Amino acid sequence: MTYKRLEVEKKILKIASKINQDVELGKFPKLEFPPNSASNIAFEEDVGYLFKPTYYTRVDGSHIKSVKTLAGLLYGMSRVVDHLKSGLTMTKRDFYYMHKVEKLKNTLFPKDQAETDSRIVQMELLLGMPREAFSIISDPRGWIYGDIELVDASGYTIRANRIGEMGYSIPPDPENIEFKRIGIKAVVAIEKVGPAKNMIELKIPEEYGLGIAILKGQPSRSMRRFLRMLSEQGVPIGILTDLSPWSIRIAATVIYNSISSAHIPGLAVPNAAFLGIETRDIEEGFFKDYQLALEDLTPLDIKAAKDNLKLPSLQGEFWQRENEWFLKRKKKAELEIFKAMSPSAKQLKELFVKYLREKIEEKLKVTI
Amino acid sequence: MSNEVKGKITSVDREELEEISPADFFYRNKALAGFDNPVKATYTIIRELVENALDACEEARRLPEVLIVLERIQEKDSSSNVESEVPTELYSLSVRDNGTGLSPEEIPRAFGQVLVSSKYKLIQSRGTFGLGGTMALLYGQITTNMPFEITSSTGGRIHKITMKIDIQANRPIVLGEQILGASIEPFTEVKLHFRGSYSRAKPKIMDYLKQTAMITPYANIEFRDPDGSFYLFERNARELPSLPKESLPHPKGIDLELLQRILKGTKARRLASFLQTEFQKVGRKTALEILQRANLDPTLKPKKLTQEQISALFRAMTSYERFLPPDPSILSPLGEKLLMAGIKKELNPEFVWAVKRPPSSVWGHPFLVETAIAYGGDITPTGKVQLYRFANRIPLLYDASSDVSYLVAKRISWDVYGIKSLEEEPIALFVHVVSTKIPFKTVGKEFIANEPVLAKEIELGWRECGRRLKAYLSGKNRVKRAISRYIAFKRYYDVIASSIEELTGKRPAVEELLRKLTPATVEEGRC
Repeated sequence: MTYKRLEVEKKILKIASKINQDVELGKFPKLEFPPNSASNIAFEEDVGYLFKPTYYTRVDGSHIKSVKTLAGLLYGMSRVVDHLKSGLTMTKRDFYYMHKVEKLKNTLFPKDQAETDSRIVQMELLLGMPREAFSIISDPRGWIYGDIELVDASGYTIRANRIGEMGYSIPPDPENIEFKRIGIKAVVAIEKVGPAKNMIELKIPEEYGLGIAILKGQPSRSMRRFLRMLSEQGVPIGILTDLSPWSIRIAATVIYNSISSAHIPGLAVPNAAFLGIETRDIEEGFFKDYQLALEDLTPLDIKAAKDNLKLPSLQGEFWQRENEWFLKRKKKAELEIFKAMSPSAKQLKELFVKYLREKIEEKLKVTI
Repeated sequence: MSNEVKGKITSVDREELEEISPADFFYRNKALAGFDNPVKATYTIIRELVENALDACEEARRLPEVLIVLERIQEKDSSSNVESEVPTELYSLSVRDNGTGLSPEEIPRAFGQVLVSSKYKLIQSRGTFGLGGTMALLYGQITTNMPFEITSSTGGRIHKITMKIDIQANRPIVLGEQILGASIEPFTEVKLHFRGSYSRAKPKIMDYLKQTAMITPYANIEFRDPDGSFYLFERNARELPSLPKESLPHPKGIDLELLQRILKGTKARRLASFLQTEFQKVGRKTALEILQRANLDPTLKPKKLTQEQISALFRAMTSYERFLPPDPSILSPLGEKLLMAGIKKELNPEFVWAVKRPPSSVWGHPFLVETAIAYGGDITPTGKVQLYRFANRIPLLYDASSDVSYLVAKRISWDVYGIKSLEEEPIALFVHVVSTKIPFKTVGKEFIANEPVLAKEIELGWRECGRRLKAYLSGKNRVKRAISRYIAFKRYYDVIASSIEELTGKRPAVEELLRKLTPATVEEGRC
């Protein structure tokens, strides 16, 4: 899955040369790539979203609407190669600004960043590789804390439990990470920073041989890629989120990837397991005496729950059952519920460990 | 003129009226003829003489060459002016045409007398009041007490006759006659003096000349004004419209007064044959039906009818419904080609289309309507409806908003034809009504009555022009789109070429490709 800089350049050059040749022959250049439209995306429970191109978009240089796309792709690729050659990365925002130039005033000058963002997706589809491969990165988001030794693009050997209080910050392109040693039994990927930070502060990773991955909301592509790489190293991955219509999407994104990035392979972690919070934890399990701490669903939450009815990744029996609970109870639970169970710090560690132990045992078959 | 004096005049009234000459009548009723004040009179004098000149050329079947020279003889008149507050100046005006010319014998009668024809034939005539230039000469004489000069040649000796009009007797007074060499080319030049105000009449005069040039595109009209400016309205067509033909009046187109005059002058000896010989569209059967309706014996002598019998005949004629419409073949329209030529010449539009409608009739007179629409070019939006009106080949300059054509222009929804607003877009409308009797609304003869038949014809004409305009505008948009498409392509291929150059080190020759994108329409659209 790793792309060498030279390979990327070669691929781009090949496309440019073909267009050059067409033009020299007096032919209108054409490009074809599979769009990431619904018809090209499949879903399979045990691998997640899959990009299965059956239908191709043709960018025809003799059509006024296509010619903008063609010019946009070529200009974008020329910027990318320029940055690759000098070993520089760019953000989506950078890419947007590269279009805010005088010479593109009547052509590619963008209305807003959405315009250049969708161009980036087209480049991913055309080149068949994630944008990180051609140096367009996102702002990094996500940390891993725990006994993992790795070497990344910086060339340094890093221990993810000796690199500050949050652990190792997942780089934008984790592709080049090389694992040296993995000393953990499992990783718990946690939606929220607060509870994850508490677990680190309570030394749970060290005492129970766990890795804590901090997602901070919807996980970034780099975080998902990193979890997949860990999973491929044989590390069991568990997911801990709120119990809300949005949070089951977060869990599903980790496990199955998402529609918008379905064309990027290697992002799904099919072996990952959803630890909780589950509805049965509320109804009859760990939190059954703490229903007072539930929050009401907002109208937006309800709408999200209704949308979930149609989301391909949530069609499984378990997910639908969970989702129905939202529509019926109109309630949600947040990870902060642990604080409702134990306003005093003393019992918190005990509660965390008890819950994690039960869940990891049940779902990951790992004993801590 | 007589058939213009309207109103019911009974025999008793007539006896009580003071007998006056036609010349005296006009002297007393100057306002009627457009001589209300010195400003309007200045315009009217020029107008009457120019129309006279154009008529002379057209009757001679010659392409008109009209030269108008207006000179200021004496500035600012300090003497009191009873008629008006406007300060007047003394001018001399000469108008020369290249008609057949007049012999020295014809001249006094042609210019020194207000003529009332004793024949009652119908003809489409240009002159607003049917007076030629005599009224203008009369006005000059009244305001200056100076004689006027007619210089003319029929293609030989040039005669100059100096004369005046005896207003009360309605007779020419020849004061002198001179021979001024010879000319192969026939011509007539009328020169008179008058008091008026050119500076204030100038805008109207220029409008008049421009629009006259528009409706007579086959004429060269030159105007030298007192301020030393020289205006040439040059012809761009070399064909004359046909001459209007004379015809008998249609029974629906007469009034009581006219009927009495025709009765008095007829040679027919019986009423039945009178109707057949003096009117069009009356055969024996129709004549007998009318007389039966009037309860009159067909063998009655026309000259011996009593007032009651005349009234009965008149009522029967005007209420009879089954006449065929008046004969339109006597009309002389300008024609679509000439109308477009005239508009092109004076307004230089990017688009013009004219439509001649088939003849129809109103008030017992045949008429037909010619319409045109011009767009763009030198026409620029003015915030007002740009409407040019003509009647029997003369421009109508006053009271546009009361005219039937203005009402029609306002009631058409122009957006159907790609025009959002007549006032805010570069569009001009034209209407030319030709008839043996234009249905003017007032004695001032500046706007045409809202007769439904006429309104409908104008509307149909404009709508047809509108459809052409729409086709033109959408074609124009097509070309515009093709050009902007080409420009867009060129810009994108510049980006493509420079991106490829950056990637491969070589700029592809996109120019070849772009040439393929230059469809014929784009090339055409540029010129």
